[in-house]
Amino acid sequence: MKKKDIIKGIIVLLSVTLLSGYLLAQVYSLTKPKIEQQKKIEEERLNRDIFEEGVKFSEDNLKEIPCTAVYDINGNLIGRIFTSQVRGYGGNITIKVGFDNELKIVDVKILEHTETPGLGSKITDSNFIGQFKNKQGADLYLKTDSPTGQVDGITGATISSRAVTEGIRKLQEQLQ
Amino acid sequence: MKKFELNNLTRGIWKENPIFYLMLGLCPLLAVSASLKDALGMGGAFIFVLLGSNVTIALIRKVVPAHVRIPVFIVVIATFVTIIDYSLAAFSPQVHKNLGVYLPLMVVNCILLGRAEAFASKNNVINSALDGIGMGLGFTLAILVIASIREFLGQGTLFGISVLGKNYLPFLIMIMPPGAFFVIGFLIAIKNSFGGKKNAE
Repeated sequence: MKKKDIIKGIIVLLSVTLLSGYLLAQVYSLTKPKIEQQKKIEEERLNRDIFEEGVKFSEDNLKEIPCTAVYDINGNLIGRIFTSQVRGYGGNITIKVGFDNELKIVDVKILEHTETPGLGSKITDSNFIGQFKNKQGADLYLKTDSPTGQVDGITGATISSRAVTEGIRKLQEQLQ
Repeated sequence: MKKFELNNLTRGIWKENPIFYLMLGLCPLLAVSASLKDALGMGGAFIFVLLGSNVTIALIRKVVPAHVRIPVFIVVIATFVTIIDYSLAAFSPQVHKNLGVYLPLMVVNCILLGRAEAFASKNNVINSALDGIGMGLGFTLAILVIASIREFLGQGTLFGISVLGKNYLPFLIMIMPPGAFFVIGFLIAIKNSFGGKKNAE
C-alpha cells in the first residue's frame, strides 16, 4: 500500500469520526434534559410502587445515608426508600429498597440494570425480587452461599442474584 | 445506471425481504417480536437507521478508500443508532426499556452493514435511500407479522388489547424464543410456496 493511500485513509476515518462525535454531542445535549425528566418520572413511579399508601415523598437521610422519606395521607412518616448501586455481571445495578420505621423491608425494585437478557435480567422478576418483601433482619445470603441463607438465587445468574442480595444486606447492616 | 429505480424500493419489501429471503438480522427479530408494540418500535428505529446510514454512505462513497470502508460504515451506523437510542430514551422510555440491549446491538446488525457494503457503497444517493426504505419496510413488515402471530397465540392479545378473552389459555412457547423460530420457519415456507424459490435462482 502506498504512503499516500494510508494518509488518505487516516484523514477520511478521522473526519468521519470527528463529524459523528460532533453530531452526537448535539443530539445528546438536546435529549439529555428530557431523558433525565423521564428517569425522574420512573423513579417516582417506583417509589409509589414500593409504598402504595405513600402520598408525600421528600429528601431525607438516616445515619448519614441519603434517602427518600415517605409520608402517608395523614402526614405520618411510614418509611424510607434507599437507593444503592451494586456491581452486577454486566455493569451496575441500581436498586431501590423501601424500609418501614422498624427497618422491615417493604419492597425492593430494580431501577436500572444491564444484565444479560433472559438470564441476569430475571432479577426484576417478582419471583426473585419479591423474596425480600417483609423480611426483617434476615440472613440475606443466597442459599448456595450460606447455610442460613434465605434467598433463592436465579439459575444461571448467580452473580446477578448475589450482587442484588449483597446490596440489600449491606444497606440493612448500615442501618442497624 | 439510471438515476432512479423504483425497483430498489419494492425489492426489499417482498422479493428480497431481509428476513424471509436474505435471512439477515434474525437476532433482534427473535428478541423483540414477542409483542407488537416493541416490534413497531424496533421497525421504526430500523427504517430510520437504515435510511440514514444508506444515504450517508452513498454520499461519501467516492471519498472513502476501500481499505478503511468497514470502520467508516460502522462509525456511520453507530452514529445513527446512538441518535435513535437517545431519542427513544427521551420520548418513549417504555419502548426503549423493552428493546434493551438490542437497540445498541443494531450497530453490528448484518442488514445494516450488509446493505452498506452491498448496495449503498456502489449506488447513488436516491437509489440508496430507496433501498434503505425498502429494506427497512421489509424488516418492519416481517417483524410485525411475526409479532402479531406470536402475541396473538402467546398472550391472546394484539397491541396489548385482549382479543381472545380471559378464558384463553396462552400458548406460552410462542412468546419465548423458540416460538419465533417456529413462526419464521412457517412464514418462510409459505413465502417460498409463492415462488420465492424461483426468484432465488
